[in-house]
Amino acid sequence: MTNAQLEIQIIAALVAVACAIPGTFLVLRKMAMISDAISHSILVGIVLGFFITQDLNSPLLILLAALTGIVTVVMVEYIQKTNLVKEDTAIGLVFPALFSIGVILIAKNANDVHLDIDAVLLGELAFAPFDRLLIGGMDIGPKSLWVIGVILFLTLLLLFLFYKELKLSTFDKGLAATLGFSPVILHYGLMSVSSVTIVGAFDAVGAVLVVALIIAPPATAYLLTDNLKKMLILSSFFGVFAAISGYWMANFLDASIAGSMTTVLGVIFLLVYLFAPRQGVFSVMFKEKQQQVEVSLLVFLLHLQNHTDPKERHVNHLQEHINWGKVKSKTILNLAKKNNFVTIDANIALLTPKGEEFTAEALKYITTNEETAIEGLKKRFFLFRG
Amino acid sequence: MKEKNYAIKIDDLTVAYNYKPVLWDIDLKIPEGVLMAIVGPNGAGKSTLIKSILNIIKPIAGTVKVFGKPYKQQVDKVAYVPQKGSVDWDFPTIALDVVMMGTYGSLGWIKRPGQKEKKQALEALEKVGMLAFKDRQISQLSGGQQQRIFLARALVQNASIYLMDEPFQGVDATTEKAIINILKELRHAGKTLIVVHHDLQTVPKYFDWVTFLNVKGIASGPVRDIFNDDNLTKTYGINYKVAVNK
Ligand SMILES: Nc1ncnc2c1ncn2[C@@H]1O[C@H](COP(=O)(O)OP(=O)(O)OP(=O)(O)O)[C@@H](O)[C@H]1O
Ligand SMILES: [Mg+2]
Repeated sequence: MTNAQLEIQIIAALVAVACAIPGTFLVLRKMAMISDAISHSILVGIVLGFFITQDLNSPLLILLAALTGIVTVVMVEYIQKTNLVKEDTAIGLVFPALFSIGVILIAKNANDVHLDIDAVLLGELAFAPFDRLLIGGMDIGPKSLWVIGVILFLTLLLLFLFYKELKLSTFDKGLAATLGFSPVILHYGLMSVSSVTIVGAFDAVGAVLVVALIIAPPATAYLLTDNLKKMLILSSFFGVFAAISGYWMANFLDASIAGSMTTVLGVIFLLVYLFAPRQGVFSVMFKEKQQQVEVSLLVFLLHLQNHTDPKERHVNHLQEHINWGKVKSKTILNLAKKNNFVTIDANIALLTPKGEEFTAEALKYITTNEETAIEGLKKRFFLFRG
Repeated sequence: MKEKNYAIKIDDLTVAYNYKPVLWDIDLKIPEGVLMAIVGPNGAGKSTLIKSILNIIKPIAGTVKVFGKPYKQQVDKVAYVPQKGSVDWDFPTIALDVVMMGTYGSLGWIKRPGQKEKKQALEALEKVGMLAFKDRQISQLSGGQQQRIFLARALVQNASIYLMDEPFQGVDATTEKAIINILKELRHAGKTLIVVHHDLQTVPKYFDWVTFLNVKGIASGPVRDIFNDDNLTKTYGINYKVAVNK
């Protein structure tokens, strides 16, 4: 691995973490799409900033462009407040207008400025190591590494200081307001950090694909955890993983770096969506199946409890007497035997004392609908879960 | 009564959404230490009234005084239990954490909750009978349990005034009884409780003070004096009849 390659990966990883942090809060606030709006409309700010500074990494350009992002948010909210259109419509009205102004500005001045639309949309991560930051003639690394490094540092500092406030105002705006934590300040604080991050990241992944880094890692992490801190850590992890493996994929396939990263993000999300332990598609299917079996078992045991007539309890009649649905009577019978709930004597099923106890308790749960009853029940009886 | 004896005193309050008033010229005096129901039909402005007391919505006219001072100076004296539907229960956090949020106000900016706050939260959870669920992800709680969590969160705020928006919404009889007992206990401890309530049958049993509201303030006072068919009819419309079990 060359020095340049290493630098590229470090930049990409820093960008990923810087995006995942505000992204987590945006996703939880159901405001992910606003990042899309910001990322497009900052183009105007970038172009104007570039005319003034002639340097894509100048702090002035970053602030100017971030300001365009905030203006976008204000405009979207203003349009939304009129109640004439919904939020997504308001977003759709604002950013194409600003974005197209940016595109026109670039096209009009394409001859004099070194700034092309591809670079802004897709980023130029591969060239990042060539633009060095020199202090007193000494090379201290790529400029964009410093830019994103500073942004990430500030983001982490703000997160550390205002974690509690962000959490509260994201979960319950009303309570935040009544406790004296102005939701408006926190909202615009988050918007400012997001805008600055998006501007800072466009060099690496482009102003548009940065949205993928903001939304996809938190959305993936959300499927895996119930804990905000873990969600932040997992989002960062997924972001970094996609950044680095995306880089190598691009290297290998000789493809766009930003495009490869986005592809990896998409694949990770799909995998988690399918296989997540609790909320994944497959595990939900599996749980439903298991529940079906559990319910059928209960129906079977209740049936045995209610009927003393041996004919009703004959193994061969089970399928007819009880409407099992899709579950096989054999599965249920085996399950009941395995748990010592029934004994089978000459093909006649009989509840054991343990089976009696279980059925009685299950019945109590069903009639009282008490959460606590089922908790205890599961602990003591549900051997068949394992 | 002197002004400072009122927990809340509202004068000429008018509140509007997009310049369309939903509360007109409300005057309301709530004495300290009452357990008060706010009743009125859907859309009467009950939630709006509570939100404007809390300054969540800015009124277009009028004043609200909390123990004689603007709300801004009395933030720590007021606890709020919002309507359950007002938050996203899929938020990645557990019951204990939500209850701890009640302590954030006394902590102020930046400072983090510690052992002391955790202890307070656990005590409140115990009080509402939810200690066993402290580590449960909030989306996996039933509606009544979520309501209890909100109540516990208000308890840790250790306020003088509690504003509750429909705490009995969608809870079963046991939970309702548990909640009302806690409310009565708080009143005995000298707190003022203001509760948006929909079940008119239980007003005389649960509350000692009542406010009738329907865009305008209709009446406010002791339940035994003003909870009658006349005021109910004025609030709910001409044909309104309710069996009030006295
Ligand atoms: N954010 C809002 N924007 C516009 N109008 C609103 C808003 N919130 C409430 N309203 C309107 O204000 C009026 C009063 O609403 P409010 O929520 O205070 O009623 P409520 O008495 O609490 O009703 P409910 O019993 O259904 O909870 C209603 O007509 C409602 O449509
Ligand atoms: Mg309401």
